[in-house]
Amino acid sequence: MSPTVIDQLFFIYFYISLSILSIGVIVSRNIIHSAFFLLIFLLHVAAVFLFLNAEFLMAIQIIVYVGGVLALFIFAIMVMNIREELKHRRFVKFAGSGFLVSLLFFTVFYGFVRNIRFETSKPLSSDTNVLGSLLYSYYLLPFEILSLVLLIALIGGILIAKKTPREDR
Amino acid sequence: MINQYLLLSATLFTIGLIGFVVRRDLIVMLMCLEIMFNAVNIIFASFSYYGGGYTGQIFVLFSIAVAASEAAVGLAIVLSLVRVTAISHSDEIRNLRG
Repeated sequence: MSPTVIDQLFFIYFYISLSILSIGVIVSRNIIHSAFFLLIFLLHVAAVFLFLNAEFLMAIQIIVYVGGVLALFIFAIMVMNIREELKHRRFVKFAGSGFLVSLLFFTVFYGFVRNIRFETSKPLSSDTNVLGSLLYSYYLLPFEILSLVLLIALIGGILIAKKTPREDR
Repeated sequence: MINQYLLLSATLFTIGLIGFVVRRDLIVMLMCLEIMFNAVNIIFASFSYYGGGYTGQIFVLFSIAVAASEAAVGLAIVLSLVRVTAISHSDEIRNLRG
């Protein structure tokens, strides 16, 4: 088989499995099961980044999402008491109308964006050196602002989730 | 081609939107936000790949950092909501005062 056919087969596999995993996040009854569906989903998204010649993004995706965000989710689930969640109903009352509106969003969005073409025929090569030098020269100010955003989010998260509620003051 | 990445990203974003609207649990709603962030990241990376510039990948980096801080603050809000009012479903919240 030619390499393009193999690429197509892999892409079809990733399309189907990403759709199934994200539907599994929504429909599973146990929140821990949702978290583990999300884990495999994030690893598949990292593999899709490899298709797009973005190896640095793949590493960052695995480190930040799987190592940070998902651990935070599982930690929050375990701090809360979810034992009585299992017999509750999962969906809100207006779930059908929300589903229909989301499908309408899909048709409008995909119909709008379907005919995008790019002029350049040569795809991007993977080069992490260029990415790093660009990040520290041209995008230096957004990078520093981003570090401030992370610091403020950290302090805010600690302050909001602190143990002492309103009564103690 | 870029068309298949657009289809993938639109599908994932729609599934995340459906989950955010439809589910009751606040933590699963935050997980659906992460699904939507990942769909947008895929579309940024594919534009960077086919457009021939590295700006899209840098925007994906920024988007990942913002998503991490969003998850931290959102989970803190859900945690303090559960701790103060013992509610963890989105359609049971009655008042805005904590």
